[in-house]
This record gives sequence, C-alpha cells and structure tokens, in this order.
Amino acid sequence: MSQYQVLPGPEAFLPPAAASMGNVLPDPGEAHIEGRIVPEDEAYEVFARKVLGAKVPTIFPGPLVLWKWNDHVAEKAKAIRELANEAPMRIIPMADYRPKYPKIEAAVEINPNHPNLTIWHNKIDVCIFIGVHCHQANLSLKIIRGGTNCYTMAMCAMAGHEDACLSFRDADLGKIRKLIDAVKKLKSEGVESQAIPFKQFKLSRAGLVDQSAN
Amino acid sequence: MSKEKIQICEDLADVMPPEYQELVATATYGNQDRGWKDIGSSKELIEQHSLCAGCPESIAFRYILASLPAPEDTVFVGSTGCTSLVFPHVAVHNIHSLFGNQNAIASGLKRTLKSRFPDVEKDVVVLAGDGATVDIGLDMTMQSWFRLEKFTTICFDNELYANTGGQESGLMQKGFVAKMAPKGKNFEKVRLAEIAREAGCAYVAVLTVSKPNRVEQAIKNAIYVAREVGPSFVQLYTPCILEIGKQSMEGLDEMKDSETIGGRFVQKEYITDEAQKLLDSIKEETKARKKAAKEAKKSVNA
Amino acid sequence: MNKQVELKNKRIIASKHVKLGQKNRMDQTYTDINDIFFKAEQTPNFLTGSEVIREAIKRCSVGTSVAYPITPQSEAAALIGEIYAEGYLDEYFRGESEFAVMGQCAGAAFGGHRVFTTTAGPGTLRAMENFPMWAGARLPIQVCVTCRGVNSPLSIQPDTLEMYYLLETGMLVWHAETAQDLFDFIMKGFIVAEQPDVHVPIAVCCDGFFVTHTKDTVDLPPLDLTLTPYDPYQNPQPVMDMETSPIRMMRDPFVMKSNYISYATHASWQQEIKAAVERSRKHTIPLLDGLIDEYNADRELLIVASGTAVSQSREAIRLLEEEGIKVGLVKIKTIRPFPTEEIRRVTKHAKHIFVPEFNVVGWLAREIKAIIPDNERVYVGPHVCGGMTMPSEVIVEQIKIQLGMETTPLRM
Ligand SMILES: Cc1ncc(C[n+]2csc(CCOP(=O)(O)OP(=O)(O)O)c2C)c(N)n1
Ligand code: SF4
Ligand SMILES: [Mg+2]
Repeated sequence: MSQYQVLPGPEAFLPPAAASMGNVLPDPGEAHIEGRIVPEDEAYEVFARKVLGAKVPTIFPGPLVLWKWNDHVAEKAKAIRELANEAPMRIIPMADYRPKYPKIEAAVEINPNHPNLTIWHNKIDVCIFIGVHCHQANLSLKIIRGGTNCYTMAMCAMAGHEDACLSFRDADLGKIRKLIDAVKKLKSEGVESQAIPFKQFKLSRAGLVDQSAN
Repeated sequence: MSKEKIQICEDLADVMPPEYQELVATATYGNQDRGWKDIGSSKELIEQHSLCAGCPESIAFRYILASLPAPEDTVFVGSTGCTSLVFPHVAVHNIHSLFGNQNAIASGLKRTLKSRFPDVEKDVVVLAGDGATVDIGLDMTMQSWFRLEKFTTICFDNELYANTGGQESGLMQKGFVAKMAPKGKNFEKVRLAEIAREAGCAYVAVLTVSKPNRVEQAIKNAIYVAREVGPSFVQLYTPCILEIGKQSMEGLDEMKDSETIGGRFVQKEYITDEAQKLLDSIKEETKARKKAAKEAKKSVNA
Repeated sequence: MNKQVELKNKRIIASKHVKLGQKNRMDQTYTDINDIFFKAEQTPNFLTGSEVIREAIKRCSVGTSVAYPITPQSEAAALIGEIYAEGYLDEYFRGESEFAVMGQCAGAAFGGHRVFTTTAGPGTLRAMENFPMWAGARLPIQVCVTCRGVNSPLSIQPDTLEMYYLLETGMLVWHAETAQDLFDFIMKGFIVAEQPDVHVPIAVCCDGFFVTHTKDTVDLPPLDLTLTPYDPYQNPQPVMDMETSPIRMMRDPFVMKSNYISYATHASWQQEIKAAVERSRKHTIPLLDGLIDEYNADRELLIVASGTAVSQSREAIRLLEEEGIKVGLVKIKTIRPFPTEEIRRVTKHAKHIFVPEFNVVGWLAREIKAIIPDNERVYVGPHVCGGMTMPSEVIVEQIKIQLGMETTPLRM
C-alpha cells in the first residue's frame, strides 16, 4: 500500500491524522521527512534547506521553552534565539494553549486552536515547532496542513509528530544546536537565505515596542 | 512551583505577549499576605473572559484568585457551567472533566498531590455552580465530605442553571418561576450549608460577593482549614443577572438586598472547635508577622 | 486506515526512568518491561484470575487504585486493598459509585499517578461518561473489565456485550483469553498506554468468572521486580501539579462555548485521540508478539475469536480434527486498535469464517465483516449470552451445519 505523504496543504476541509493513514513515528536516532523514516542526520540538512529557501521561515517556541520552569530550559531558549539570528527566522511564541478571548494578535502570537490565522496573517511558508506539548502540537500541525500551504517541522522532545512534514524526536539542547550547525554549514556552502528582510518584533509590558527609531 | 520558577526565559522574553510579561513582573505569586487589595496594583491571575457584562461571577473569580494563600501551589477543579468559560483564562492549573464530578476529581487529585509532594502543601480548590454542586453532583460533593477529603469546595450559587438558559435548580428559591419550573419551584431552597456542616465540613461559610474583604477572609479560612483539619465549604451568592432580568449594574444591589436581615444570604459560618483554634492561631501569627515587618521597616528608616 | 505496522524483531523502546535499577519501599527493583518479561525467569503459579490481578498489580508500581464492589471483580478489587495495606500502592479507597470512581481515577491521573481500577457490566455502563473524557484528556488510566451481563433482568453472569460499548470511547481495548493473558496484558498495558505518543486509557477485558473465578497455571516473573514508575512529565499534555509550564492551563479547555468557537480544534482533537490509539500498534506488537495469534490460519475453514471463545474454539478444532475436518484459528488480542490488516491477510484464503462470541449481538463478527472483502464468508456465530456456556460441541455443530454435514443437534 502506498505511503501517505505529509505535504504542505491546503489539503482538505478536515485532513486525516497521518497516524490513521498508517504513518509510524521514527525510532531514536531517526526522523521522518514527509512520512518517510530517515536517519536523523539526513533531516538536519533538509531542515536547513527548507529554512534558507523560505520567504518567511518562522520558529514557534512553546511553553516548554518559553518558561523557565526548570534549570535546562534557559539554554534551549538561548539556542533558539541563536537559530533565529543565524538563519534568520522569525520567532512567534505559543505562550500557552488557552482559547484566547476575544482574539489573538496573529502578528505576534500563535494559538493551537486556530494556528492557521497566524500562518495566513504573516504568510509563513516554513515553520518549526519547538517546546510545544505533543497534543497541542498535533492539533496545530493538522489544522495548518488542512488550511495553509506552510511546510511544517517539529523538534519534539518525545516521540515526534507524524502530522508535521518533517519531525525530529527526543529533542534536547544538542539537537537544537545541530539545527544551527546545519544552517551554518549550508550557508558556508554558498546557500543564501531567501527570507524577506524583517526586524524581529519586540514586546514589552506595555505592548509592541516601536523599533523604527533604532 | 516556587515563585522563582514562574519566569520567562530571558532570551525569549521580548517576544512574549504583554500579559505574560506582566504576570511575571507584578503578580503576587509567593506572597503569603496577598489579598483583594492587590487588585488594581498588581497583575491579576485572570485574563479576559466571556461572562455576561456585569456578571457577579467575574468579580467573585477576581476576589477568590486574589485571596488564594498560595496560587503557585494551587490546582482548581471546575465543572460545566458559566464558570467554565473563565477557567481557561486563569493562571493556575485547572481541570474541567465532566458536569458534576468535580469533588470526585478533587478527591483523587488531592491524594495524588499529597503522595507525590509530601513536603509541599498543594491546595486543591473546587469551584462549581449550584447545579453541579447540589443537583447532579450532590452525591460526590457529600461523599467527599463524609470521607473528610482535605480540599475546599466553593459553590457559585446563582440559584439556577445559568449556562443552559435559566432552569430550576435545587438552590433556587421556592416559588420562583423558571424554565422547567413553569408553575414555580415547589420545594424550598436546599440547605446546603447545613448539609455541609452535618456531612463533615470543618469550616462552612455562606455570603455574597458584595464585600471583598469578607470573601477574602472566607476563602483563606476555608483553605487553611482544608490544609490542616478537614473539608471546607464556601457558598457564594453570585446572582445571574441575565436570567433574573437585571441590568449589568444591578448585581451589587441584588447581593446587598439578599444579605440584609431576613434575606437568603445573611452571612453565616459554621466552624468546628478544632478549625476555630487553627484560625485563631493563624490570626495571631499573621498579626505578629506583620508587626515584626513593620518594626523592621521602622528601624531601617530610623 | 488501520494499516499494519511492520516491526522486524523490534523491542519496545526501553525505559529511561531515573529510578530504573533503584529499589522501592517494598524492596522491589524498578525494572524495564523487556527485562521483566524477556530476561527474568518466570515461575509457574496456580492461581485464580482475581489473584492474578493482584499479582500483576504488585509488580506495576501503581500510585492510586479506587475500588467499588461489583461481581465478578469485587474480589480482585478487595485483594488490591490488601496489597495497599501491605505497602504496594500509595493510595487506595472505596469510591461511592462507578461514575465517581472513574472521576477519582481521573483526578489521580491528572495529578500524575499511575492509576488502576476494576469494574464490570453495570459498573462499566454507570461509568461510561468518564471513558471518552479520560481519552480526550489523555489520561493513561487502566481499567480491568471483568465482563458480565448488562441486560435487564439483572445478570451477574459472563457476557461480553459491555465491550461493544467501549469500542469508540478512544480507549485501547484488549481482550484476555486466559489468566496468563490477563497478567501479561495488565503489566504490558500500562507501558503501552503510557507511551507519550499514545497516552490514552486502556481497558484490559476478560470474561468474568471463566477467567476471574477459575484456577489456572500462570507464569510469573519474580516479585522483587516491578515496573519503572509512571513519569508524569513524559506526557503529551501538562500534568496538573503546578510544577510544569504553562501555568495558565486548563487541561480540557472550552473551545466550543458561547463566544469562543473552534470546531476545527474539536475535530482535530478527536482525530488525535484516534491517532494515539493507532500509534499504540508500534509498542504493542513487540510486547504482545502481534495483535493476533494464528494457528493454521491458511486453512479454508477459519475460526476468528477473542477472549474465552478462543479456548472453546481450540477444543472444537480438536474435536473436528478427530473427524478429519481441518480448521484454522485466529485469536484477536487487541480489539482497539483493531488488527485490520492482520485480519485481511489471514482471512485471504478462508472460505468460511466462524466467529463464536459470548454476547447477543455478535459485535466481533460485525467488526470483521466491515473490513474484509467477500464478507458473506463470515458466519456470525455461534453466539451465546446471559451467562450461558458455549460448549465446544456447539461450535463443532455450527461448522458442520454450515458445511452441509449431518449433525445430531445439541439441546439445552
Ligand atoms: C451530564 C450532563 N448533563 C447536563 C449537562 C448540561 N449542562 C451544562 S451546564 C449546566 C448547568 C450548570 O448549572 P450550574 O452548575 O448552576 O452553573 P451555572 O451555569 O449556573 O454557573 C447543564 C445542565 C451537561 N453538560 N452534562
Ligand atoms: S448567564 Fe448569568 S451566570 Fe452566566 S455569565 Fe451571564 S449573568 Fe453570569
Ligand atoms: Mg447556577
């Protein structure tokens, strides 16, 4: 039976969960690309190519890396920032999972209940989820695949995500650093970022910080 | 979780939405003297919600959240009803699960947290509507009291089923004409406070949410007693202005009317001797602590 | 849908729990499931099914168990109370009804405990609203269902109808044939259900009385080994203990109420639960050695069954063999996830498929009919219900009738 391919959408009004199509998660040391199990190292390069080839590559950090709830998170957050600077990639946080009322600010946040709004608003064509709980990541990935043409990737701390177009598993600091290295390596080989120039937004307790002065 | 852990990673702090930056900067996690007076001067643990404008449940939520002695180690259990529209926006862990089983959930949760964290006091607080507490869930409400489960039960008594459109509930007044009581309710408002007392609650309070200091005291008492003595119960009148035909500004008057002599919600408390002793000693301690703090401040200034 | 997972001699990924190798207060060593079943020596014991449940739970590092009496699980639930008193579990108490018990189990699981409970028949139906809630909330609670009738007039007798009600709750549903299965399924069930990519509840079902109240020889691993504990942080959702981010967290938020609506979230949430059940295949196949067992399954006459109907079929096949009639056998171990591809494969050559069942509707036959080509090959039955036994002779007779052979009809 032919393998179900996890490709960017818009796929369907309600696309199936890839696991229900027979896609199986990678084992330790492996990753998957569009449903195909590959050695993990192969996926780093594909990640870097996708990011550098994209117009609006974006990192969606989740609560597990945004909040300093244990001693190791700060280092991961630092590496994520470094990745964003290196590529460059935008950072749009998923601070928590609540159905935010009355609405989200699609320019500066993403929410698992309607992640498509953030993708559409910012015209994001490539993204990676890091530090989002698996359940909420799977909801988001599926809704994005259903309604947008964004290429989704996931750096998952547990078993990985079939609903992403590309997924790592067992994420730790070392693997986030490998993402940076993969980007650096491709750049050193002459691959240039196609990202539309942008300035990372800044928020303060009062709201959006006007950076036009600097 | 210690207050120190409720922090945003520095490297990603400046992309976090303002309400979270604010939460970290000025919320009163870890301050044992927190209370309703912090409202206005510090970040509250509740964001926007979708209750009706002027619904007294919203102010009740704000007072309760401001009065928790240790929100950083509190887990809420809710139930289906208007309150469940608020809970996703509350900055403490909370569980919904099903309509009416809140005290069963809390029983399992409290025992588990006690066994997983023997050295940390994890407060479990149930907050549910009158339909959930008295009608569909009365069995589990009372059985948790019989078993002397050590958590606090709060009932938002709006004397009807608000979320489904204003049907009769056990806590509705006799004679009130409502959906499913087309000829008027034909039995008395259930005497839940007395049931709570007889079922084993060491601390019971009935009041409206018209006066924040009273709400604060009742919530604190209830949680302290649940930590050390046994189950506690607080019944708060939070009139459903939508279903009793009031304007958004009229909730407060409704509560004030109901708590005057002869009203349904004249403030009352039932406290066991053991619970009273505990509350007295906490009062003394707090007084002494505040006095010492004042003196320390004085000596610094001098 | 429901594709078969190829695993080529793989083992379930070993536990990395920090307590691996350490001792608990009962002086048992926390041990990886692979080592417990595939390395440690297994010793035969002669036990009732209820005692087998106790022996399994002694080795499962369970946090909380909540009990409520209903035949035929009362004895097992009480025995768990005894081992709690000895110190094997952290928490144990009697709830006030099965509805409440399943809520109490949920509370314990939300708080981060490994949770075990037992129920049967009317208890299962009384508790029903909780099961999809457990699944939707991603709580890997294990309930051992010792099946009995759910009909009126009240029956305490074995009958597997209640399993039919469990099939679309989002739980894993496994069906033990023997006491040995029951022991293995309980221990292995925790490990599969708790995988972070699965993390949904599991119902380990057995046929009441036939398994719970009869004695059988069961191979047990040593008592000084116990499963590595449940790690509540290996969880696809935040555990509700205020020790993990985000703190603004409702585990099961309202995404459909009043002013806030996201039907896509709801739909995706339901799909995700079904997906989680699918993911369990990968972990279950190496632990249970496949979702089905097959014996001469390439024969033209095939019996497909689960639970004690399998045992009765084995004897029927022996009787038929004496008369020169060769029949193959397929035993289904997991009803959810359903071994769709496996059944399609093994039934390829079958001309007649018999599905003996202990319930009035024949739900297993329906499940099979729904997924194989030429499903007129499926003979729905024989089935009995209401506590009747299913003599092997009845299966023999039905097969002969179907083949147009002479039989002496069996009478009650
Ligand atoms: C098992 C079940 N029965 C009925 C309902 C419908 N229901 C939802 S909320 C509600 C009433 C809630 O009333 P109350 O507990 O008083 O809370 P309020 O909305 O008044 O704050 C009902 C009947 C349900 N969700 N589940
Ligand atoms: S329906 Fe009644 S209880 Fe519910 S939010 Fe509106 S006013 Fe408040
Ligand atoms: Mg009400």
